[in-house]
Amino acid sequence: MKNRLRVLRAEREWSQADLAERLEVSRQSVNAIETGKYDPSLPLAFKLARLFGTTIEAIFNDDN
Amino acid sequence: MVCRTNNPAVRRYLRRLLATLLLYAVSLVLAIGIFVHYRPTGVLAYALAVLPAIPLIGMLVVFGFYLAEEKDEFQRSIGVQSMLWGVGGLLAVTTVWGFLESFVHIPHLNPINDFAIFWVFMGISIPVLLARYK
Repeated sequence: MKNRLRVLRAEREWSQADLAERLEVSRQSVNAIETGKYDPSLPLAFKLARLFGTTIEAIFNDDN
Repeated sequence: MVCRTNNPAVRRYLRRLLATLLLYAVSLVLAIGIFVHYRPTGVLAYALAVLPAIPLIGMLVVFGFYLAEEKDEFQRSIGVQSMLWGVGGLLAVTTVWGFLESFVHIPHLNPINDFAIFWVFMGISIPVLLARYK
């Protein structure tokens, strides 16, 4: 699934490791989500949305 | 042994795994020693023969605990997928071996090796799976 994580992360000047620490997941997890190779669960998607102060739909795009 | 991971679930898994491996080594030496020196029979023989299998089964339980305690869902998913690769690899090897045994009479593969085959496939699959997500 496409997403804007890289952009949102860059706006805050966070590294993948910084975001991983805030989400309490591994850096590999952040990378897998960011590259669209792994779709997070709903709870993790909500956690991401809360962290960036936005909605899930504003981060993830399920258009093919 | 020095454990360099910051993940508490992985640290607990490695500690428990080490404990099961030590128990396996002790129970195997004990079983071999008693069978060689005392030649037990009956229920005791059966119990001693099964003894080394218990810590090996414990390794699966320990991995189950890891999956239950791992908070990182992506890592959990890698763990589950690696187990599937372990099971798939084991089934593939033993099925092919079984037909080879039946038709071209290669040496018998003792099922005692199944556990090792499972862990080898599982171990190999983890870096492969992680590479897929890079």
